[in-house]
Amino acid sequence: MTAPVLRSHVLSIAGLATRILLDRESDTATVFVHGGVPGLTPYSSGAHIWGAALGRFADDGAVLALDLPGFGGSEAPDAPYSIDVMIDHIDAVVRATGLRRCHLVAHDTGGLAALLLACRRPGYVAAVSVVSSVAAAPTGDGVENLALAYPPQPLGSRESQRWALERLSYSHHHIQDVLDDCVLAAQQTPQQAAAARMADPAARYAWNSSMARAKARLFELCRGPGVPVPVQVVWGTHDPAATIDQGLWLYRILAQQQPVAHFHLINRAGALPFREEPGAFHATIAAFSDAIR
Amino acid sequence: MTQPDPQSASPITTRQAMPEGRWIDVAGTRTRYFEAGTGEPVVFIYGGNFGMADGASSAYTWSLNLQPLAQAGYRAIAFDKLGQGETGNPVRDEDYTMQAVVDHAAAFLRALDLPPVHLVGHSRGGYAATRLTLQHQDAVRTLTIVNSGTLSPGVGTNEVVLCNPPHPRGSQEAVRWVYENYSHDASVVTDEWVEAVMRILALDKYRHSVQKMAVEGLAERVFLPELARQKGQTLHWLEEGRLQRPVQIVWGYNDRTAVLERGMELFRTVSRHQRDAQFHVINTSGHFPFREHPAQFNALLARFFALQRAQQR
Repeated sequence: MTAPVLRSHVLSIAGLATRILLDRESDTATVFVHGGVPGLTPYSSGAHIWGAALGRFADDGAVLALDLPGFGGSEAPDAPYSIDVMIDHIDAVVRATGLRRCHLVAHDTGGLAALLLACRRPGYVAAVSVVSSVAAAPTGDGVENLALAYPPQPLGSRESQRWALERLSYSHHHIQDVLDDCVLAAQQTPQQAAAARMADPAARYAWNSSMARAKARLFELCRGPGVPVPVQVVWGTHDPAATIDQGLWLYRILAQQQPVAHFHLINRAGALPFREEPGAFHATIAAFSDAIR
Repeated sequence: MTQPDPQSASPITTRQAMPEGRWIDVAGTRTRYFEAGTGEPVVFIYGGNFGMADGASSAYTWSLNLQPLAQAGYRAIAFDKLGQGETGNPVRDEDYTMQAVVDHAAAFLRALDLPPVHLVGHSRGGYAATRLTLQHQDAVRTLTIVNSGTLSPGVGTNEVVLCNPPHPRGSQEAVRWVYENYSHDASVVTDEWVEAVMRILALDKYRHSVQKMAVEGLAERVFLPELARQKGQTLHWLEEGRLQRPVQIVWGYNDRTAVLERGMELFRTVSRHQRDAQFHVINTSGHFPFREHPAQFNALLARFFALQRAQQR
């Protein structure tokens, strides 16, 4: 359930509908960027995925959660889906809302995009919290991850959504609260359009190539100047999509050049630790934020 | 929802003064302690043990943490352990043990008549805090363990990294060398820190404990064998799931004496049975993350404690 203080707004950015959740007018905010791959990830991600955790952060200061292109209420540009499209979108939303300073809290693919956005040095990124981001972590020559290998059809159905969320979680108890939002997001035009586009193997290939390029760019930057703002890596102890070792390696890479770098484990949480342990998640992010304020 | 004042965790720009010291009789041992603030009690237990010749921890170790926690709304307390700092020494040779230190710490909590405390222990003090929690669950509300090689399974590397300082034993240079090698950034070892250690090393009662441990051989005959024996039991208790309080483990990433993998292993053990378990790693920090990055460390404490309050509502 989304915290009642947050209101949904639809912005028009470059002629495209862009949906955000916002709790108040402010020139500083914690900005939440969800994960997933448009049209492919079998649970519907979007601003709603942060759930009740957002209300805890709203007690500390302004909160903004956005829908990435191809998710929820945000339309995607005609360009092929890529990490760069995500980075540009986050940048456009921050500029459109007039934020002068923000702390990016970003999950999965959003985490990779947020780190690369910080590396562009746009001037307003104060810190990045990367959450359960197998997208940003090195894969090595890992074994295939089968967590989401055989989704029940049709994708986007209630059954399929429940299945995917359960497959990614330590415990299924949080799912009922978000299931309606996920089903609704799956029915919206941006996600339907994304699913249709990703049915094309060329679109999937383009996405995968963009991920590989983005990762290589991140690792190169971390070897060189490093991410220019404080970073923290937050991982669930029971993430079916990513091992603790992957999270720790992402941390090692980021910690090479960025002196203010934290790594955290949230116990008994899967790939969505902010849903399963919102209290521990909030305490972990807020402590980091307090110290660099 | 009550939140700690965010300003309380802001980077420390002025040196934090220790609050005024006090004395209390703890089961016959004159015990030195320092406290600041009011609210839920937070009790800090530093590392090291009595009778070390090139280093001497005391309550001063927490000088960058007491006032900020007080400002965040807590009663922050640091005391000198049995035989360390200004607190009296064990009377009998057979009490030069970790269990005697733990018993004294538990008696200190009783002497102050404290409600269940947030216990924060570093290094050997992390071991003592955990052992105290296991033996006196009712006295403890939460447990925070910081870079404790003593508690962690696996091989400690203190004796490798810190072996034979290349300076005269007990000299200011030797002390500085030890703490610099514990740290990631040598510049955090301030003159004030070194002076606080030298002050303790110069006390007659401390020199007596050095005589006992190093010269009369109580370290090898009593302290270390007893610690090894009870460590086996303590780890067994953790594996059994006897630790039944919220726990967080905080680790300096660059500690060469208690390396990260040991903290990870410890976390795996405690988090198996305790849901409310967190693990935090701080970059550019050696063995003393609360001195190298006090703002980051203090914020982790304040938010962890606030979470416990929120969960009880």
